[in-house]
Amino acid sequence: MVPMLEIALHKHLDGFRLDVAFTAQNELVVLFGPSGAGKSLTLQAIAGTMRPDAGRIVIDGQTVYNSGQRLDLPPQMRRVGYVPQHYALFPHLTAAANIGFGLARLPRHEREQRVSEMVTLFGLQGLDHRRPRELSGGQQQRVALARALAVRPRLLLLDEPFAALDGSLREALREELVQVQTRTGITVVMVTHDLTDAFALGQRIVVYEAGRVIQQGTREEVFFHPATRHVAELVGTRNILSAVAEHTEGDILWVQWQGHHIAAPARPVAPGTPVDLCIRPTQVLIVRPDRLGERERVNLLSGTIVREQMHSETYTLQFRVDGSQAAADLEISLPGYVYHRLALEAEKRVTVELRQQALHVMPQKE
Amino acid sequence: MKHNWLLFFPLLLLLTFLVLPVTAIFLRVLPQVGVWETLQQPLVTEALRLSFLTSLGSLFLALLCGTPIAYLLARYRFRGAALLDTLIDLPMVLPPTVAGVALLMAFGRRGVLGAWLDLIGVQLSFTTLAVVLAQSFVSIPFYIRAARAGFQSVDQELERVAYTLGHSPLSTFVRVTVPLAFPALLSGAVMAWARALGEFGATIMFAGNFLGRTQTMPLAIYTAMESDLTAALVLSAILIIVSFSVLFCVRMLLHRSPYGAYA
Repeated sequence: MVPMLEIALHKHLDGFRLDVAFTAQNELVVLFGPSGAGKSLTLQAIAGTMRPDAGRIVIDGQTVYNSGQRLDLPPQMRRVGYVPQHYALFPHLTAAANIGFGLARLPRHEREQRVSEMVTLFGLQGLDHRRPRELSGGQQQRVALARALAVRPRLLLLDEPFAALDGSLREALREELVQVQTRTGITVVMVTHDLTDAFALGQRIVVYEAGRVIQQGTREEVFFHPATRHVAELVGTRNILSAVAEHTEGDILWVQWQGHHIAAPARPVAPGTPVDLCIRPTQVLIVRPDRLGERERVNLLSGTIVREQMHSETYTLQFRVDGSQAAADLEISLPGYVYHRLALEAEKRVTVELRQQALHVMPQKE
Repeated sequence: MKHNWLLFFPLLLLLTFLVLPVTAIFLRVLPQVGVWETLQQPLVTEALRLSFLTSLGSLFLALLCGTPIAYLLARYRFRGAALLDTLIDLPMVLPPTVAGVALLMAFGRRGVLGAWLDLIGVQLSFTTLAVVLAQSFVSIPFYIRAARAGFQSVDQELERVAYTLGHSPLSTFVRVTVPLAFPALLSGAVMAWARALGEFGATIMFAGNFLGRTQTMPLAIYTAMESDLTAALVLSAILIIVSFSVLFCVRMLLHRSPYGAYA
């Protein structure tokens, strides 16, 4: 299948170097990474408002930029919807005029009809005669989305669409964006540095760092199988352990961590090489003492709960392995009912199991 | 209370300094007999007509040439921008007489370009057009300065969004940039027009002082001071009233328009 969007870019800008490549289908793609990683610059290149030094951009089979062929379609001809950070609504125009701004070439009747369609779609009835500064943050965002979609673009680019909104509104608009995307089937490329946004929205995630793409893949790939320790840290992985690979045995890779031999899913790693090991806090299981001998278990570690923190439905525990010098080695997350059934508390000694299938081994590069 | 006095005193001084001369003119004009007759003298009517036409002409030139230059200076960084900037500000600090001499040396009959123009039978100096040129020379910088600041205050992201919505740079300029910079453009235009209206030194040097051809109001006032004080007073009073009302109207307009809120 031909990808909906195909990008390869090089750009030098005041000591910053952007050098990225990725593809996207009809889905919601999140460009995720810290501020200043080049995400917004990438959006501008796709929109055609920033010219790269070299590279190629293909939208829906049409090449809109190709440095080799000296091809560079102006933004007017790319049919790309662009919603910059803070929305950039035209402050001198009403909401309706903002939404209809890209429809100047349509006959008046058609234009009005399209605008009213958009007003209905985004629930902006009764607000169409207000100016942007008379609208709330959420309403402004809806107007900006409506304005971009009114021209029926092939691609929608969103730069930090939720940055200016708080808590519950943010959640509601996230939901709305997903609905718009499913209903229209449009490819959305969204920039964010917010982990929750990325997790909630990104069907595909492209991880940026310092002008480079350091991993791209589905949400599960990126969050559960980060390619490197670096990506793992960027996506907020809680338990990252430095270990050493020992040997492979069938589909098991044995690694050594703090003197314990731990079985992980096999990866092609040479024995003796340092690796990073990660496991999600929910996959560290606390074993009931009376069930310790029930079946053959691997990856058992005994130690102490050093700290605990309660959330509404779950508990987060900090666990220290016996003989460790660290304040805490592992973070454990478990539902409240399990916490109570096991009669857990701080300073209690427990045995934990690292679920073998949930362990993820990352080779250390360099 | 002592503090209040410290602030109040300079204010009082300034008010006296500004208000007294202006009022003095009206105090002298109002009791005069024959103000109406004076208003109908050719010296006065011709000066009014000429000032009206030439100041609008130079305003037109300022808008026509100044707008693109101001946009250029606001949007692009290029080699020699600082130099161009200084050059544009120069007429604001130069004594107008220097501007007059400079214009003569360039466009006068023996001027650098004037000599060539003379060959094809075109004479600029001492014509009504020369008045417009002299006024433009000293007034354009006022417009460019204000317009540039106005354009700079318009978020370029808005222009980019307009491009992605299919609008050409020109259409974007007309529909987005100009409306948003409008308060600055308007006040710049008014300042430039007011400066042109009051132009004296460069005009008298480059265009001369000919009734009905180059004698604008300031020149007519100067001429009348020697012969007809009433005419000078009447013209001065008119200039004061017109200038004050225009400045005041623009201020009110900018304050009340929806543009004012985000200007």
